[in-house]
Amino acid sequence: MRRVPENASLNDVTVVLDDRAILRGISLGLGPGLTLLRGPNGAGKTTLLRALAGLAPLARGRRSVSGGPPLYIGHRPMLLSGLTARENLAFLAAFRGLGAGDVAGALRAWGLAGEMDRPIERLSAGQRRRASLARIETEQMPLVLLDEPFADLDSDALVRLRAAINTALVRGQAVLMATHMHHELDQDATHRYVLDDGALREV
Amino acid sequence: MNALDRALLVAARELAAERRRPDGFVAALTFTALLVLMESLAFGPGQARQPGVASALYWIAILFAATLVATRSFDRELEDDAIDAVLVLDGGREALYAGKVIAIAIVLAIVALAAAVLSLVLLDLGVALAGHLVLVGVLGILALPPVIVLVTLLALRVRARVALVPILSFPILMPQLVACTQGAAAALTGDASAALGWAGILAAFALVYGVLGLTIVPAAIE
Repeated sequence: MRRVPENASLNDVTVVLDDRAILRGISLGLGPGLTLLRGPNGAGKTTLLRALAGLAPLARGRRSVSGGPPLYIGHRPMLLSGLTARENLAFLAAFRGLGAGDVAGALRAWGLAGEMDRPIERLSAGQRRRASLARIETEQMPLVLLDEPFADLDSDALVRLRAAINTALVRGQAVLMATHMHHELDQDATHRYVLDDGALREV
Repeated sequence: MNALDRALLVAARELAAERRRPDGFVAALTFTALLVLMESLAFGPGQARQPGVASALYWIAILFAATLVATRSFDRELEDDAIDAVLVLDGGREALYAGKVIAIAIVLAIVALAAAVLSLVLLDLGVALAGHLVLVGVLGILALPPVIVLVTLLALRVRARVALVPILSFPILMPQLVACTQGAAAALTGDASAALGWAGILAAFALVYGVLGLTIVPAAIE
């Protein structure tokens, strides 16, 4: 059930929010490859991703991530309104010390050539989601955490997401994806987990 | 990239967003102008022109303006969970605090300048020591954001944040408000040593709360 941790791990982690144990004694090691995380609504999938991202306080246990802070893309796009898609992605890449790189190229690849210089709040939900997912290419971190990335995406964007994940896997990145649409990438997954009532099991 | 570079990067991001969507700036400017005007009318021209009263009215307006700018700034961060993208990064929490303090101080400086011109013209105030008044103004602007940003970050996920931030931060800011008011009044009346003394106190407050914020914030933000 447990793998040798390479890119990241959680060791006996418990997360308690509002006096309720959302995660109970979770241990998980993530090496290069795609790991799918399933589970019913409210099972704790988002909390598990946030624990790996360092955004959820650990009541017990230890979190370890190598190669710099992970790329975490949550339910919402996590981009600042008032800035354009290009400015948002350039800021986040620059903060990691990566430089602006080919932000424009990545946004073009996600079909946002004509939208990248518009304020993010003027884009549709699907376009904002595309812009946030373009970070997979602009930041290229060893650990990528994606929370329901298929939400708001059309069929073209689904193809693009699949391609971006495959490229990440070729680069040796570890991708952990919480999703209900596991069939979309099931054949590419190296590991599959189900989280239910705060407990994790590999399937 | 060092800590200062990261803070400046956050500040630049904040100012770019505020420039394109100046909600906080416009709200603070309108509110400050109206407050100065209304208070001047309420007190009457004779009383409102007294240096102590004019300074107090001005700095109370600036204190509320600072809260407005900070609240709007963090509303924007929470809109699409944009703040999480920064918090997850190495040094993100410190940079977010310091960058917000810098950006809010810059926005507040513009609001304060406009309000100062309005106060001086509206009340026909005489300024005995202009340089000292500017010094007190600059240090006052630097002394307010470290506390307001710290309290806003600590109350970030609280539903009643808009009400809670002034309730929690204003008592902490009372010494700074007194120093701003007394320092400005001393500069208006020509008491150089008193103005410099109050300015020194403001500098100390800015430094102490700036360091305190950088120390507390990394562990305190959820």
